[in-house]
Amino acid sequence: MARQNRHGRNRSRNTVSELRERSEEERRNDDTATGSFPQVHGRTGKRTLKGTSDFRIRASSTILITLMCALLGFGYMTQINSGPSTYETMSEDELVRLINETSTQAQNLEQRKNQLSQQLSSLKAAADQREQAQRIANQNKETSGIISGRLPAQGKGVIITIGKGKDKDVDASTMFTLIEELRNAGAEVISINDVRVVTSTSIWDDEDGGLQCDGIPLTLPYTVRAIGNPSDLQNAVNIAGGIGSRLKVMYGAKVSVKQSDNVQIDATREPSTNNYAKTVE
Amino acid sequence: MMAAVLGLIIGIVVGVFVQPDIPVAIQPYLPIMVVAALDALLGAARAYFERRFSDRVFIISFFANVITATLLVLLGNQLGVGSQLQTAVIVVLGIRIFSNVSAIRRFIFRG
Repeated sequence: MARQNRHGRNRSRNTVSELRERSEEERRNDDTATGSFPQVHGRTGKRTLKGTSDFRIRASSTILITLMCALLGFGYMTQINSGPSTYETMSEDELVRLINETSTQAQNLEQRKNQLSQQLSSLKAAADQREQAQRIANQNKETSGIISGRLPAQGKGVIITIGKGKDKDVDASTMFTLIEELRNAGAEVISINDVRVVTSTSIWDDEDGGLQCDGIPLTLPYTVRAIGNPSDLQNAVNIAGGIGSRLKVMYGAKVSVKQSDNVQIDATREPSTNNYAKTVE
Repeated sequence: MMAAVLGLIIGIVVGVFVQPDIPVAIQPYLPIMVVAALDALLGAARAYFERRFSDRVFIISFFANVITATLLVLLGNQLGVGSQLQTAVIVVLGIRIFSNVSAIRRFIFRG
């Protein structure tokens, strides 16, 4: 029994020392110190004593590491997004080269700008010219339209009414003289009854003692409308020994000259095309 | 490890979507800071593979790297050798990054 007991004690001692050796070995194996980094042993006891504090430290260091890595990634992306390198870190040579390049570019752009503005101004001038030409052409069109009788006209002028001659019929030459007198007085547009008087207008006597103007028989009383300076036109007709008195005296016709601020001449004439005449270039 | 990768991803995503105006004062130092931090991160990765990673060491080395690199470049700028000193810092950090990467590679491929 005693022997058995002693034997048992021996065995238990063996087991204890075995366990102790094993744990010693395990501790040695677990040691991660390599000598490169100084290990802080001071707090190991404290750590093992307080589990909550240990957990808190580990959590906070994990969060800190996460934060730092986030900072690194953020800085990296920011630097990538910030584009080309900044000027502060460039050397003098690089800066000089950069300035030269930039100023050359600026010069080129300035030159280009000048060219373009020149072009713009020339285009503007051309547009102005064209506009002016257009304006002149319009003016010409109007003027020539009025002169050639293509357009109706209105303005200040006189309306002359000539009644039937008591002594003899008013003949074409007298009518023609009237028109000439009006023209001399500056009449711009003239019409007789409803016939527009233009450069090619002619008047002649027909067989019954009446008048024809450009092939249209004129009916009495003759109404001559003239646009021009009203008083000048009136004077031209009423002047002593002029056409007005001749009509009255020689033909016994009743002549009235009425000034008007708005003489309307609606009669028009299609301009004839010139077959032979051409403008001199 | 997971924390570092997660943080890196978060930072990159935030950097992609938020594009802040960097203050002019720190503009020339940002690339150096990034490289220094990258070096610290790779050093930490190497330590992790060598099973001697210590979070304190990583945190301190991270900030020390960044601050040292920045101060060095700042000093260089004040002395008029900013670009040269920047190059020097980049070269040194580059060498360190290469050696760290090769150490990591040895650990990975040795199994």
